[in-house]
Amino acid sequence: MSLLRAHGLTAGYGPVTVLNGIDLEVNEGEIVVILGANGAGKTTTMRAVSGTIPRSGAVEFDGHDISRTSPDAIVRHGVAQVPQGRGTFPELSVEDNLRAGAITRRDGAGAVAADLQRWFEQFPRLAERRSQRAGSLSGGEQQMLAIARALMSRPKLLLCDEPSLGLAPLITKELFEVIERLNREEGLSVLLVEQNANLAMHMASRVYLLETGRIVASGSAAELSADDTIRKAYLGF
Amino acid sequence: MSVPFTLRSGGPGSWALRLAAGAVLVYLMFWIPTQASNGVIDTCITALTLMAAAMALNLLLGYTGQISIGHSAFFGIGAYTTGILVSKYGWSPFQTLAVAFVVAFVVGALVSLPALRIKGVYLALVTLSLGLVFPQLIKAPKMEWLTGGARGLDKTGFKFTKKNPTYEIFGWNPWGNLRGENVKPFLYWIAMIIVIIVYVVCRGVVKSRAGRSLIAIRDNETAAAVMGVNLAVTKGLAFGLSAALCSLPGCLSAIRTGNVTPDSTNLTVLGAITFLIVMVVGGAGSLWGPIIGSALYVFVTDRTGDWSDKEAIPAVLRPFFGWSHTPPGSGIFAVVLIALMFVAPFGIVGMWHRVIGRFVKVVPRPAGTGTIDAPATAPAEA
Ligand SMILES: Nc1ncnc2c1ncn2[C@@H]1O[C@H](COP(=O)(O)OP(=O)(O)OP(=O)(O)O)[C@@H](O)[C@H]1O
Ligand SMILES: [Mg+2]
Repeated sequence: MSLLRAHGLTAGYGPVTVLNGIDLEVNEGEIVVILGANGAGKTTTMRAVSGTIPRSGAVEFDGHDISRTSPDAIVRHGVAQVPQGRGTFPELSVEDNLRAGAITRRDGAGAVAADLQRWFEQFPRLAERRSQRAGSLSGGEQQMLAIARALMSRPKLLLCDEPSLGLAPLITKELFEVIERLNREEGLSVLLVEQNANLAMHMASRVYLLETGRIVASGSAAELSADDTIRKAYLGF
Repeated sequence: MSVPFTLRSGGPGSWALRLAAGAVLVYLMFWIPTQASNGVIDTCITALTLMAAAMALNLLLGYTGQISIGHSAFFGIGAYTTGILVSKYGWSPFQTLAVAFVVAFVVGALVSLPALRIKGVYLALVTLSLGLVFPQLIKAPKMEWLTGGARGLDKTGFKFTKKNPTYEIFGWNPWGNLRGENVKPFLYWIAMIIVIIVYVVCRGVVKSRAGRSLIAIRDNETAAAVMGVNLAVTKGLAFGLSAALCSLPGCLSAIRTGNVTPDSTNLTVLGAITFLIVMVVGGAGSLWGPIIGSALYVFVTDRTGDWSDKEAIPAVLRPFFGWSHTPPGSGIFAVVLIALMFVAPFGIVGMWHRVIGRFVKVVPRPAGTGTIDAPATAPAEA
């Protein structure tokens, strides 16, 4: 069943149109990966879905039309975003950053505290630094924090914009394992932007190839890597 | 870096310190109105007025990151609401506080509308024009029937008559003599209660989920939005609440002096800038910053109040301030502000934390459920 469906999604910045009517779908329980060169519009796609930039076209999430919905209401529907370049709150402590991720939740302090505990166990580095200012974390630690924070809202769909940015390879691997496990065990759907095509294709249910604001190819990871021209032009292996 | 002492937040040591500080404050709070001279009490009321206004502004600027150089207008709304209701409609001054709160809240929330679209310097300009327009609006000929125009309003305070009762607690009277003979302690207590109300509200907001939303907006607006913070509503509430709280010391000023004029400092942009400066000097984004900044500001301006007369300046300082024909208090404070920006960008409170940090290591209390013991070792970086 489709969880997120965008049709003719157009978005940009002021007079500049970046996305030229793309169609995109994420089914329940899928990990969908968007690949594309720098400036292709991957981040713009994420922002258009989360409602943080003006957009037009149809966007449906979980049966709701969210094309005119404000970002906070979209979060309440169950979409969480890890913005590119982290976007943690530097003056809040690590723990308060995580609590900020739970702002939309109404299921009580106990449930929030339990989740807090859970992500601290998942990311022990954050637990060690729970009362430290987020601004004083290393880049990689902030990235982990941004992801854990997004998960604190208990999303149905996680929008993840280059989570591996600035992470050591081992940490990246660990992080992707966490995402895969959440996907496998709890059915979390993921829309993932990733530069490391090799790594991302590995876990992807489906892949979209984006080029200058258009989708030029889509399909399962196997289909795309079987296509020699695509592989050479976009995937680089 | 090793430090000599460790203090566990929430532990007995930290409670002992809190109790000691609280005891000193409460002692001072009662000592001033009962023992100090009328002049000192009066200066303290001035300081308390400024504290309430600066704390209100801090909620908006320090915590939410929305600049306002127009808070004097909200102060003025408080002063005029009390002034008009008391002098023209015969209300009791206390009742007017609630009306001022509501009126200022609504105006503040309306001012937040441009803040949804504009930021930084542009927001500063919009709020500045609010501060500039307010006294003009009061003086406008069409408003004169209500506001008294440039002459202002009088009889805006309490009516003290020979018949007023005195309230004594076991023969002890901290309120002063309400038979119109010595009302300073009484006014002091009104000011104190307003400051306590503003402090408690600010603290309640800041330490709550709402407070995290405010700081999130200040730190990273877009990220706050994708965490589910409703920017429009949150900013509107922050503006409204900040304005409403700022109106309370305005009410106090009308009650205290018994008259309201559109050109008194706190109702003009100069007042708004003073709120801003004392807040920044004390420490924006901290609960005690505005309190400390205000106290320091009033202390300096009070001490230097007669320095336009050369003879009044202490001999050592005469070469520095002898040229001044007006009291140099604000000038001194401006220099303090500039110096602080270099040595302590987070104000006096920030500097205090840094200095204390050299000697005392504060261990925050573990939060959430359970305890964190022996964190798992992080995987080695490849
Ligand atoms: N805030 C902005 N204002 C104006 N133009 C922007 C803005 N952000 C991005 N753009 C433009 O939109 C286009 C697409 O940018 P986008 O950030 O979506 O690329 P991307 O695919 O995420 O690239 P990268 O891999 O480098 O992150 C670029 O040409 C960029 O210049
Ligand atoms: Mg990008």
